[in-house]
Amino acid sequence: MVIHPDLGSQLVNLCSALLLLTCFAIIAQRRLSACVDLFALQSVFLAVTAALVAFLTGAHHIYIAAALTVVIKVIILPRILKAVIERLNVKRELVLNINIPSSLLICGALVILAFYITQPIISLGFLLTQDSLAIALSIVLIGFFIMIARKKAVTQVIGFLVIENGLFLGATAAAYGMPLIVELGVFFDILVAGLIIGVYTHRLQDTFDSVDTSKLTGLKE
Amino acid sequence: MFFDLSWIVHWGLLTVVGLLGIGIFLPSVFYRNAHVQNFVAHGAAMAGSVAGIALGIAGLLAPTAATFSVSSNLPLLTFQIRVDPLSSFFVLIISLSGLAVSQFAVGYVREFEARYSIGTMGGLYNAFLLSMILVVLADNGFFFLIVWEIMSLVSYFLVVTEHEKAETRYAGFFYLIMTHVGTAFIIVAWLVFYQQAGSFSFEIFRHPPAPIPEGFRTLIFATALIGFGTKAGIIPLHVWLPYAHPAAPSHISALMSGVMIKTAIYGLVRVYFDFLGGAFPWWWGFLILTIGAVSALLGVMYALMEHDLKSLLAYHSVENIGIILMGIGAGMIFQSYGLPHLAALGLLAGLYHTINHAMFKGLLFMGAGSLVHATHTRDMEEYGGLIRKMPWTAAFFLIGAVSISALPPSNGFVSEWLTFQSLFLSFQIPDLLLKIILPISAAMLALTGVLAMACFAKAFGISFLAMPRSAHAREAKEVPLTMRIGMGLLAGFCLALGFAPMVVVPLLDRVTAGFTGVTIAEKIVAGGGFALAPGLGIGFASISTPVLAVLLAILIPAALLASAALGGRLRKRYTKTWGCGINLKPRMEYTATGFTQPIKQVFDMIYRPTVKLETEMLEESRYFAKRMRFETHIEPVFQKYLYDPVVKVLQKLADRVRVIQSGSLHVYLAYIFVTLLVLLLWVR
Repeated sequence: MVIHPDLGSQLVNLCSALLLLTCFAIIAQRRLSACVDLFALQSVFLAVTAALVAFLTGAHHIYIAAALTVVIKVIILPRILKAVIERLNVKRELVLNINIPSSLLICGALVILAFYITQPIISLGFLLTQDSLAIALSIVLIGFFIMIARKKAVTQVIGFLVIENGLFLGATAAAYGMPLIVELGVFFDILVAGLIIGVYTHRLQDTFDSVDTSKLTGLKE
Repeated sequence: MFFDLSWIVHWGLLTVVGLLGIGIFLPSVFYRNAHVQNFVAHGAAMAGSVAGIALGIAGLLAPTAATFSVSSNLPLLTFQIRVDPLSSFFVLIISLSGLAVSQFAVGYVREFEARYSIGTMGGLYNAFLLSMILVVLADNGFFFLIVWEIMSLVSYFLVVTEHEKAETRYAGFFYLIMTHVGTAFIIVAWLVFYQQAGSFSFEIFRHPPAPIPEGFRTLIFATALIGFGTKAGIIPLHVWLPYAHPAAPSHISALMSGVMIKTAIYGLVRVYFDFLGGAFPWWWGFLILTIGAVSALLGVMYALMEHDLKSLLAYHSVENIGIILMGIGAGMIFQSYGLPHLAALGLLAGLYHTINHAMFKGLLFMGAGSLVHATHTRDMEEYGGLIRKMPWTAAFFLIGAVSISALPPSNGFVSEWLTFQSLFLSFQIPDLLLKIILPISAAMLALTGVLAMACFAKAFGISFLAMPRSAHAREAKEVPLTMRIGMGLLAGFCLALGFAPMVVVPLLDRVTAGFTGVTIAEKIVAGGGFALAPGLGIGFASISTPVLAVLLAILIPAALLASAALGGRLRKRYTKTWGCGINLKPRMEYTATGFTQPIKQVFDMIYRPTVKLETEMLEESRYFAKRMRFETHIEPVFQKYLYDPVVKVLQKLADRVRVIQSGSLHVYLAYIFVTLLVLLLWVR
């Protein structure tokens, strides 16, 4: 079966847009476990995008990356995060540095900024996935913003993982994926980072009776 | 024959690197047994040092310099090594000290076995030796900086071995800051070279494609002086020495004070005579000479006031670095006026004093280490009478003290005498100002020598003679054989360097000949090889230490015999001296403070002493004191007027910057985020 290149490009763009949409959903969400679910959903979209690119370009190693995305980001990491939330009993509402309406406005601005920044690069490109680059950058910036705007350690993990999703999308979009060995390494890193941050959250809870990272200011002299 | 030498150089180099490399890592393997670690680490260091001695001697004798080079993936960095006479000479110094100090360390480190990881200590010790050897062998600016930095960091870690003491941590921190300031200046010097010559290779520094303009040469001169001067401990950059050297374990102090500060002398000679060689402006040498004279005089004056034996020795390092720089400075002045023979003489005197100082300062620090080992204190006021408990240590310390006081026929005497000669020969300079200044600096050197002798009369007398002043000293025992052998080795080297200048001078001549273009060995060594006459054609003065030694060996017994023969029969009476009928007690002894009091009075303009005397009278009568308390301090001029203001300004700035360090994770993340956005917009 052969898909028309224009149609393929449209499909990739659609999936990327869905990824971006889940980002906004995470920003707008008040409940912690829902955030984790939304992250899992975003990872599903990511895997679909990757598989689509693999299919359209015939670069088979991207299939492996897509499969790993499903295993690690859709199944394992959300479970770890849920377990942490259960154990530490932090199901309650998120604590925000910046309230939700203004967060959404700022994220909108970030998306515009990302398109503005990537515009000269995109006009040079010739790949069918080139438009996704702007979306990838937006996701990275929003992930970063989540880390800044939300106080609890678990939300910061989610922000970190969202950044990683953005980077993965960017790599797929700009260069049809990284070499397989690099991707494997990145997945391993993500897994380890998830575990470490889980432990770190635990210690934070033990020390401060809270997972609010703004309590860390107490460590300053 | 020459083929053999290059073979020795080649394999000597590989063996040194290999053995010391093994010494770095192997001790950690035997982590279960500190004893084994001790032997493995210091055994490897000794074997490496022996190979280093072979390398040094072969390199000195080899007719041409040998180069080795391994390229790296990093731009501008090549692991380039050059074995020429100058670097070989310093490898020889490092290895001779390394051999003796490693032997000493086997015994000395024993007491650390229970408290610290000997694997780490021994590994760092080997790394320290190796990095020093590579510093003097490096032939690429980048490579040089890497090993220089390794040397500084490793020595820092060794200084803070006893890190549980707050004063040790302070000393280490102070040292770390000073050494990095110094390194920064060296980096600037190298960058100027790079900018002018287009490469970091020393070969290009030596022969730049286009001559370096005078302004940049002066910049290199100044930055190298500050950079290497910090490590050498010239006044006023010496402030870290009296903290760091006493804080380190004694075998490390011996290496730091005896050898590590010499790498700075190497750097100065390398930059001035090798890279910038040729005609200097006259004021370069003049500046070096002045700094040398001031360092020598102030160094010994501060040493006199120290009662912590190791601080005293540290200040003496400042003094001796000054003496070395006086020789080098005189050599530079002569070079400027086109007097190559005299230039060679001055440089040779400086280098001779370099090896001498390495030997006797290493010896004295090991002696101090033995005293600390036996009494567990560094305060001289608690020693006393140790010559009876520790005769070997006393004998070795005396040899070191005689050498550092430059009494004939010791090695210190030979090199200081040569320095004097080169200063006196300044009448050949056509400039009137210098004709006056050089003899004045010779007078300062003479004063330095006298004060050094007073200082060691104090150090030896208070520590070893009379009665024990404390329980520590009463219970002292002679140190183990391993430590005595270590001290004995350096004592032997000291004597050899004193008695055999006619062997040493031709070797040093090979070093200086490369920079001045003339050999002076045949002219200096006179009297059938048994005397030195550095008049260089003008019948000026000559001396022969072997003859002096023989004369002393004959005359002293002869005088005793003569007095016995002429003075009638010797009657022995056993009575207390100066006792006035009272039983003598340690409290009546001359203290170190009392001994130096006259000198403190004479030079009170420099010392600015503060004296506090509190007397508590008996209630019944105002004429009888119940208790008296005497306190005296000398003002740390350089710290108070030079360093403290700088530190204050820095702290104020740091307080300003601290505002952005809120400690909040989110704020830090926001910093990164904003930076990222700004950069992204920037590159668009």
